[in-house]
This record gives sequence, C-alpha cells and structure tokens, in this order.
Amino acid sequence: MILLLALALVVTLLGGVLVGGWLDRVVAGRGAGPLRAAAALAVRGSVRTEAPDDLLQRLAPILYLALAAVGLSVVPFAPGAALVESPVGIVIWGSCEALTIIAVFLHGWSPNAPFPLIGAYRYVAIALPVMLPSMFVLIAAALPAESLSLSAIVESQRDIWNVVRQPLGLPLFVMVGLTLTLRGPMDYADAADMAGGTSAEEGGGARLAWEIARLAMLVSVSAVAAAVFLGGPLGPVLPGPVWLWFKTAAVMALIVLAGTSVTRTTPSRMLGLIWTIVLPLSFLHLGIAGVLAL
Amino acid sequence: MAVNWLARLAAAAPAPVFTCIGPGIQAAVERLCLSPALDRVATPRAAAILLVAGEIPDHAQEALDRVHDQVPHPRQTFRWDGTGDPEPALRDLWRDLAAGGDTETDRRPDAPPNDWCGVGPHGQGGKGMMGGTPYGRPMAMTADDPRDGLALDAYTARLGPFVPMLPPGLVLEVTLQGDVIVSAEVRAAPFAQPDDASAPDFCAARMLRLVGLPRDADRVARGARLRAITALRAIPEGLGRHDGQDARGRLAGWLAGERGPEAAPALATLLPGLEWSEAMLVINSFSPATLAHVAISKEDA
Amino acid sequence: MTLVLVSAASIVLALGLSFLLMAPRHDAGTSAPMAAPFLGGGTPDTHAWQRFHFRAYTMTLVFIAFEMEMMFMYPWAVVFVEEGVKALAEMGMFLGILSVGILYGWREGVFRWQ
Repeated sequence: MILLLALALVVTLLGGVLVGGWLDRVVAGRGAGPLRAAAALAVRGSVRTEAPDDLLQRLAPILYLALAAVGLSVVPFAPGAALVESPVGIVIWGSCEALTIIAVFLHGWSPNAPFPLIGAYRYVAIALPVMLPSMFVLIAAALPAESLSLSAIVESQRDIWNVVRQPLGLPLFVMVGLTLTLRGPMDYADAADMAGGTSAEEGGGARLAWEIARLAMLVSVSAVAAAVFLGGPLGPVLPGPVWLWFKTAAVMALIVLAGTSVTRTTPSRMLGLIWTIVLPLSFLHLGIAGVLAL
Repeated sequence: MAVNWLARLAAAAPAPVFTCIGPGIQAAVERLCLSPALDRVATPRAAAILLVAGEIPDHAQEALDRVHDQVPHPRQTFRWDGTGDPEPALRDLWRDLAAGGDTETDRRPDAPPNDWCGVGPHGQGGKGMMGGTPYGRPMAMTADDPRDGLALDAYTARLGPFVPMLPPGLVLEVTLQGDVIVSAEVRAAPFAQPDDASAPDFCAARMLRLVGLPRDADRVARGARLRAITALRAIPEGLGRHDGQDARGRLAGWLAGERGPEAAPALATLLPGLEWSEAMLVINSFSPATLAHVAISKEDA
Repeated sequence: MTLVLVSAASIVLALGLSFLLMAPRHDAGTSAPMAAPFLGGGTPDTHAWQRFHFRAYTMTLVFIAFEMEMMFMYPWAVVFVEEGVKALAEMGMFLGILSVGILYGWREGVFRWQ
C-alpha cells in the first residue's frame, strides 16, 4: 500500500510538473512545448559566479523540490489514504511552506551577486507574513473536521466542499500558492525588474532544476488546495486519485492564470497590504468558519 | 544517441537571446523579440546568443565585452543592423549551439578585478570583518542611511548600458542600502532612438513587463488591449512625480495612446530614497525620447 | 516514521536530479570575466555579500508574535467544536488583542519599508 502511494506521489509530481510547464507556456501565449524548453536549458552549461557559496547553491533547488514532495505526501490520494497519514498533516505542510522561504533565500544568497541578493531579501519580507493567512485558512478548514489531518479535512467535506462553506479560503490560499511558486503578483524573488532576481546569475541545468522545483511546488500547493477546499479525492464514479488529479490540475490552472493576469505592486506597498487587508480578512474568514462549524 | 536527441529537442525551442541594443534600433529589436521563435532572456547567463543590434558606440564597447564574456559556453555573437529578417539565421545559430557547436573566447583578460591581497583562511584580509580584498574585490563598508539612520553596508555599482530593465545606453552609478537607492548618478545617457521607440504601445509594454505582466506586455506591444487587472492601481500614487504627472499617470496616458512628457527628469534627484522596484518603475515611466536628454552627472570631485 | 522515510527519499531523489542536471557541461571552466556579477556591462565596487539593510525588520517582530499565536491555535482547532462558544470567545479575544497590535503597529509605521 505504502509503495503504491509512493508511486502515486512520484507520478503526480512528474505529471504535474509537465502539466504545469505546459500551462505556463500556453497561458503566457508562448506556444506549447515544455519539454523543448526544458531541453533548451538542459543542453546549456551554468556559470560559477565570483566566490559563490557552492554548497548552498546546489542545496537550494534540492531543498525546494524535496519540500514540495514532502508537502504532497500528506495529501490523501483516496479517502483516508495519504502516504504520510499524520494526525497533524496541516502542520507538516505548514512547515514545508515556511522552509520554502529558506530555499528561495539560499538560492538568492549563494551566487554572491546583487540582483539575486536583493531578490532574496525582498522575497523573505513578503513571504514571511504570507505564511500567516495561509495557516489561518488551513486552521479554519480544520475546525469542522475537528482534526489537523488532511484526510479528516477531506472526510468533513462529504456533504459540502469547503470552497462553498468557507468562500474566502480558496482565494487567500491562491495568494499563498503564488507566493510559494514565485509567480506574478507575488513574485518578489525572480521578478523582471531585477533581471530575474534570484535566478539572474543562473542558466542551463541549474536553472532547469530550479524551474522544476518551482513547478513541483505548484503541484503540491494545488493538491493541498484541492484536498482542503475541493474535497480532494471525493467524487462519484471515478476512483479517488483521478478526482484528486483533476482538481489539482484545476487549481494549478487557476494559480497560473492569476499569476499572469494580476499586476504586481511594489514590495513596500505589498507588505502593508498583507498586514492591513489580507491578514484581517483571514481573521474574518476564521471567525465565519468558526461560527458555521458550531 | 541520447545527446543528439536532446539537442534536436532543444533546437526546436525558442532561441535564448540576450540583446545588447545600440542607437536607433530599439523598436526594431523589440518588434523582433515578439516572435515566438526567440526567447529574449533577462540575463546573459540564460542566453546562448548575444544579439548585438546596431553600432555600439566606442564608450560602451568595454561594457559590451563584459556582457559577452558572461554568456556561458558555447556562445556566439550575432550582429544585426536592423535590416532584413534575422530570424532564420538566429535559428540556425541556435541549432548549432544546442548541439554544442563552436564557442567564442573571452574578450576581457582573465584576471581578478583587483589584486587579491587576501590573508587569513578565507582570504578575508583586513581586521575582523572589515577591509581586505578577498577574490580580488573589496567587501562593502558601512555608510549612513537616509531612511532610518541605521548605518549598514552601502553597495555601489555601475548599472548598464545593457541592463534589460533600463533603457539601452543608460549607465547609472547607484549606491544602495539594502534595496533602497541612496544616490544615483547618470554616467551615460541612453542611446538616441528614433520616434518609433517612444510609441505609447512600446513604452507601456516595457512598464507592464516590470510589474509581472509579460503576456499583456506582448499584447500591448502588438497593438491589442490590456487584459490584466489592477495594472494602474498597482503603481503607487505620486511615485516619480514630474511635470505634474506621476508614473501611474504616465502609464495611463500611454495606454490611452498619448505620448509622454518631453522635459527630461533629473534622475539624480528623482531616484534617491526610492526602493529598487519603485526606481525601475520611475525610470521606465519616461519614454526613450525623453530620457535621451537626461542630464549627465559630473564626476565627483 | 513514514515522514522520516519520505523526507529522506525526497532529498535523495532531489539530489539525484540535481547531479543529473547541474553537471558541468563545458570544459573551458569559468574565467574571471565570466564569473563577474551581471550588471548589464557595469561593474560593482565591492562583493554583493554585505550587512544587508533588511527594510522590513520591524515587521518581523510582529510576525514572531503571530507565529507563537499559531502554536496555540493548532490544539485549539482540534477541540473547537467540542468546547463550542467558549473556544470561539477565547480565540476572539486573543485575535482581538493581536488586531489592536496590528493597528498600533500600522500607526507607528511598522509595516513600511524602513
């Protein structure tokens, strides 16, 4: 059973990365062909910058990718069947989220170059406070389930999905997804106004590893959103994993679309917006969810 | 052969091109890069081809060589004078490079920027954390800060003339504290560009690219309408006020098809105190025609 | 236990992938002009590593307060339905006090780029 679930996880990540790469290119209007784009990076070499931190440079994409995989492992592929069937599933996912900030920071820190460094610090300033609404949203989903386990949260949605019961949850979580995958309005790490930010000194295989890790995180965050808001593997006729895949793909498309159609503001302004608008909104969300759960 | 197969797959991808744009050719290059056959990358690290467009003036030649040397091997330079369609040639070049074709050697000497007088286990030199030139470059030193008075390290560098988010030719000497600009001096004005580079569509597209809307930037540059939401409101009100109009107002004007102001801004007084992305927005809220007349700062006495 | 195994396996797989992708491709190595940081043809005076002026530092202190609060919230979420209105009122008060903190911090300009 465990082996089967492990296989499902690997298949989900691999397939998801491909679908994500395809979505990215189609939505960006750049034609399809994620494999071609990947090959174009794979045949190129990468550059060792001036006195870089080699170890951390190598570690950053590894950590990012591993966090995506561990985060995905708490998501149930069928009711009650997650690879890591933990009573504190959302806490495990929450720590994967928080450690992602470190992966991104290391990626920007290690080349010893100005644009990556600024991107790294700027990202930390924005991503730290985003972790708060993320956890409020997940805790709100845990209230009716009376458990922190993702399987229990899925089970609690047999009658009605959380996306209906807690309507503010998914939009807030999409914002978290944009932050974790360095996309569009929340991309303060790899942005165009710094020639690619933390990736500005990177090309070739190293860049490909980073892009794969980013897409893997997109898959994981979407799968968690599918489980928490869209009932995960619950659904008629088709088997559980297929439902989860469909729902995950739908959330991925939503995040990719949001990433290309919402404008990024300046980081100083975004910091204020998160604390004075998004965070109170997540308080409100938790309050409503609490009253409804009673 | 697995490698051949990978190279063939890669050759079918858009050619990764880093552009170094000379005088009078900016609009042509931007139009060329709308093609799906080319991938205009933001850094030479991600490029295989260095596209040198137009005649690069002598004073920018050394900078061009520096960017050239930063493209990973195998690399090729492609010169384009703005006539004809270079796309087939670029595609052929990329096919060769994807298969690991010939490369170009460095144009700058292979020596560290300064003498490396490092001592100690990491070559840090100096006393404690201060001083020394490890790996041929000094460490940053503390300086006063304009915002909160915390005396942390100041980072001084010259940006350009081929920074993708600045107008080609512009060389800015900036001092940063964190990501806030403490001082900015113009060392070289942008290359002169004919009127087509200052067309409202192209100006708006450059700004949209900065705020994370590359798809909409392409659309607007092709003359279509903007689809993204909050494009104007995302730019803080009052940012980069000049001639009674702020950056947001100038973008709104371009999106409505109006040309921007003609009077050149004083970047050296407009930029200090701004955070990095604010500063980039302000610079890009002026058209190339306006910025061409920007005042050059005198070298410090 | 499974979590430890999964974490270890993920890291091993990610490591494998990185060695596959990040292997050096060209023998020429990296020369000094190639290694120099990218500034569009410009040059820096110093190394980029520095005592970086992290402008959001005041916010991080408020953030710590909220992170601690989150720790109390995990067990609270599990017993919420059991405890009913009492739990709701308690967390309401807690969040109320923290909200006043946000308001105060906002007035003091804690969330600005210092």
